[in-house]
Amino acid sequence: MARSEGLPVPGAPLARPATEIDEVDLVPVRTYWQLVRRRFLQHRMAAIALVLMVVLIVSSIAFPLIGGDAWFKTSLTHGPKDPSSLTAPLGYDNLGINIFFRLMRGLQTSLTIGFFAVLIIAGLGTTIGSIAGYVGGWVDNVLMRVVDIVLSLPTFFLVLMFVAFMGSGNVFVIIFAIGLTGWTTAARLVRAEFLRLRESDFVQAAKALGASDRRIVIRHMIPSALAPVVVASTLGIADSVVTEAALSFLGFGLRPPEASLGNMLTNAQDYFYRQPLWIWYPGITLILLVLAASFLGDGLRDALDPRQRIEA
Amino acid sequence: MVRQDDERTLLQIRDLHTHFATADGLVKAVDGVSFSIRNGATLGVVGESGCGKSVTALSVMRLIERPGRIVGGTITFGGKNLIDIPDDEMREIRGNQISMIFQEPMTSLNPVYTCGNQIAEAVSIHGGMSGGEARKRAIEMLSQVGIPDPARRAEEYPHQLSGGMRQRVMIAMALSTNPELLIADEPTTALDVTIQAQILELMKALRERNRMSIMLITHDLGVIAEMADDVVVMYAGKVVEQSDVNTVYEHPHHPYTRGLLASIPRLGEKRNRLEVIKGVVPNPLNLPAGCLFQRRCPSAMPICNVAPPFQEVAPGHLSRCWLTPAGDPPSVGEAPSEQVALDAAAALSAE
Amino acid sequence: MATYIVRRLIQAIPIVIGISVISFLIVHLTPGSPIDKFRTPRVSPETINNLIRLYGLDESIPVQFGKWFSKFWTFPFDNTAWGYSFTDGLPVRDKIFARIPSTLWLTGVSLLVTVIVAIPIGVLQAVRQYSWSDKIITTFSTIGYAMPTFWLGLMLKQTFSVQLNLFPLFGQNSFGKTGDLLDLLWHLTLPVTTLAVIQVAGWSRYMRASMLEVLRQDYIRTARSKGLADSRVIFKHALRNAMIPIVTLLGLTVPALLSGAAITETVFSWPGLGFLGVQAVTERDYPVVLATVMIGGVMVILGNLLADVAYAVVDPRITY
Repeated sequence: MARSEGLPVPGAPLARPATEIDEVDLVPVRTYWQLVRRRFLQHRMAAIALVLMVVLIVSSIAFPLIGGDAWFKTSLTHGPKDPSSLTAPLGYDNLGINIFFRLMRGLQTSLTIGFFAVLIIAGLGTTIGSIAGYVGGWVDNVLMRVVDIVLSLPTFFLVLMFVAFMGSGNVFVIIFAIGLTGWTTAARLVRAEFLRLRESDFVQAAKALGASDRRIVIRHMIPSALAPVVVASTLGIADSVVTEAALSFLGFGLRPPEASLGNMLTNAQDYFYRQPLWIWYPGITLILLVLAASFLGDGLRDALDPRQRIEA
Repeated sequence: MVRQDDERTLLQIRDLHTHFATADGLVKAVDGVSFSIRNGATLGVVGESGCGKSVTALSVMRLIERPGRIVGGTITFGGKNLIDIPDDEMREIRGNQISMIFQEPMTSLNPVYTCGNQIAEAVSIHGGMSGGEARKRAIEMLSQVGIPDPARRAEEYPHQLSGGMRQRVMIAMALSTNPELLIADEPTTALDVTIQAQILELMKALRERNRMSIMLITHDLGVIAEMADDVVVMYAGKVVEQSDVNTVYEHPHHPYTRGLLASIPRLGEKRNRLEVIKGVVPNPLNLPAGCLFQRRCPSAMPICNVAPPFQEVAPGHLSRCWLTPAGDPPSVGEAPSEQVALDAAAALSAE
Repeated sequence: MATYIVRRLIQAIPIVIGISVISFLIVHLTPGSPIDKFRTPRVSPETINNLIRLYGLDESIPVQFGKWFSKFWTFPFDNTAWGYSFTDGLPVRDKIFARIPSTLWLTGVSLLVTVIVAIPIGVLQAVRQYSWSDKIITTFSTIGYAMPTFWLGLMLKQTFSVQLNLFPLFGQNSFGKTGDLLDLLWHLTLPVTTLAVIQVAGWSRYMRASMLEVLRQDYIRTARSKGLADSRVIFKHALRNAMIPIVTLLGLTVPALLSGAAITETVFSWPGLGFLGVQAVTERDYPVVLATVMIGGVMVILGNLLADVAYAVVDPRITY
């Protein structure tokens, strides 16, 4: 309460002219990014997820560097019976490979697959969505039918076919398969945003001022349409990592000695009796990664695009 | 003073406080509101958006939702304090003895049930009527509110009706139980001007027929002049002026009321431009000390840094302002204002 | 309504053709030929040539596509319409039709469990938003949502089948008990649990969000202002509206379950369509793969149509 002004002294002059708008009374004006940050931080789980995500990314880069070739180097002197130590906190597997470093390498692979797949998803989605949304007419019609077709195909099955027939175990094929089947949601979101923006006042104003189409799209519309893409991409990382793991489980993912969370899970199955913990290490890492990505996505959606808010 | 303990009083609100604990802080949406509604009379509640008039109405209905809460005061109706009675007793009153209609006819009806179904529901809940009787009553109500071909309309869904028709359905629903009090929260704001007049006419006619009281909430002084017997003017959660409708129009005392009246055009008056009230409603999270209106007030004085009392300026006419009943600034040293100011100052510094 | 359905079906034709082209191309443009596995020293060149002619592989891709596509739709009358399996030489149509009951059992029961569990949970959470029960359920459903299907399936299998020996390891019936309903349900428990846990996690979140959205609406306040009891406000006025978007979810989930159950079916060797599809991909049994993808695509299209029709049934504002 603004009580600092003190008590009135009879006959004293007015503290301020009565007619002036009092700035203090107005709700403070915040910039877009201040609002985004504020809304994001209000979402407590999203803030935790951000920290978790950073920890995961940093470990996936740092530990493989520290460990060198430890992630695939077999050893005859180490084995599952070795107690965990500072250099091998999760012990050694049956080939004497340091499980911790292998896990970190697997995390790195999975994150890389997720990252590049999402890059394809976002790139294709933004390009196709913005063309459809801005050009409109028959171009929009054709592109949206293509989206319908891809959406109608059973996605995981398509990925499976693609990978199985084009080269199972190949990282690039896996990335492309996930990317080529996953772009439709992003394209739809961008298109919807473009349709909205095309009619919006600020694009109309830019047109009236004589800005060129290219300038309007690149300078004004893509930045505004990017919010849903960022959200969809964050969520897409989780999907991609899980898809890779499922491919591994079905035998089409990366094969040892290469490491991914998926193939570590799959291989750990064989040791379920003797080494029940082995299936938990990659499993928990995978779940943490998915949780971090999905909370981050939720938080970003609330922060960047309050209109799309879903109470979840 | 309005004769608050008059046996002709239907509803009496005393020192009502309704607060909202928002993420940004406590908002005192209704902060010590008192007024009463006479039997068969219409009370107009006027104020800008956010002044607490709708929250007052929802408090009477006990429909305040989280994070809001009624934290103090009494609402006396039929010898009971509505704030204290158990939920099921309140449900008996709500929609039966006290009904409410809302500002947005477009969204206030449930889209998946027919109009007849929604009216019949109120009747069967409170009147203990069978399905068939309730349906008949619903059709009868629809014809009472002037809807042509009521039997057919009863089978229609809200989206098939225009805004004016939907508001008529809302009124039919609210009046189907013969309430003693109708709370109308900006009933015509969302409608076209011609439809507004029709709805007001309808409400007037039904008021006469049903002998009910109306609490009419609006920001439109024209509607008040048309409908109300008594007027309460609210500003930032408090009542600032209260009287019968003629006094408020002819001899407004509070500068805010005067500002409101000056900002509407009147026939037969030649003015170059309409007056406006300068400034904006204070931030409810950061209310100024003293009179809440002082920073927008053309008559602001040093003494306004102390909250003015709500006092009688003429018989039955109350105002929350330091100005003398004649509308002049109080002279220094003159009682009672000075004494009250000093008391208030002492209370403040003791805090 | 009938004209709307017909119009939608006509609109679906180019999409079906698109699906066919894409799946056909993936199969036929992959490196290597389906005949490759027969090219062993024990198979004579004539046999290989006969096989190539039998499968029409000597013709151009468009001709192959045209023949395959036009023959595909004669399946109601011709059990060879989808060709013969490369692995056992049986007509593909018969192989696939034999799997449909198993898939329907699995998806039907898990959907039923999902709906029965998820909708009350979502309603409860919305009505008691931010309460302890809401927070605990939200936490569980988030974790459930994050769990990869096969990991959950594996864990359940390893715990309840392998270690505790409470449920069967794989399959649909114990030996010699085909047609025994109790035996079938016993085999269904773990696969259904796997699918249901993940579906419930998603559905309850959706239901909660939908219900919260509805509870904010003006007409809910109107219903309360009529003096209705909370239960009536929630179950008559709110639930009906909150179910409208859920109907769409149903239309999208049915086809997703039919093909998405592939992983669960594989974990538990459940003899459904998905398991068949995965096996066919592994063995490069192209006719089976093609038919499976086509069925999956057509299911999605029909599911969307079903969702839109159901939408019109539950929401009086929508007329076609």
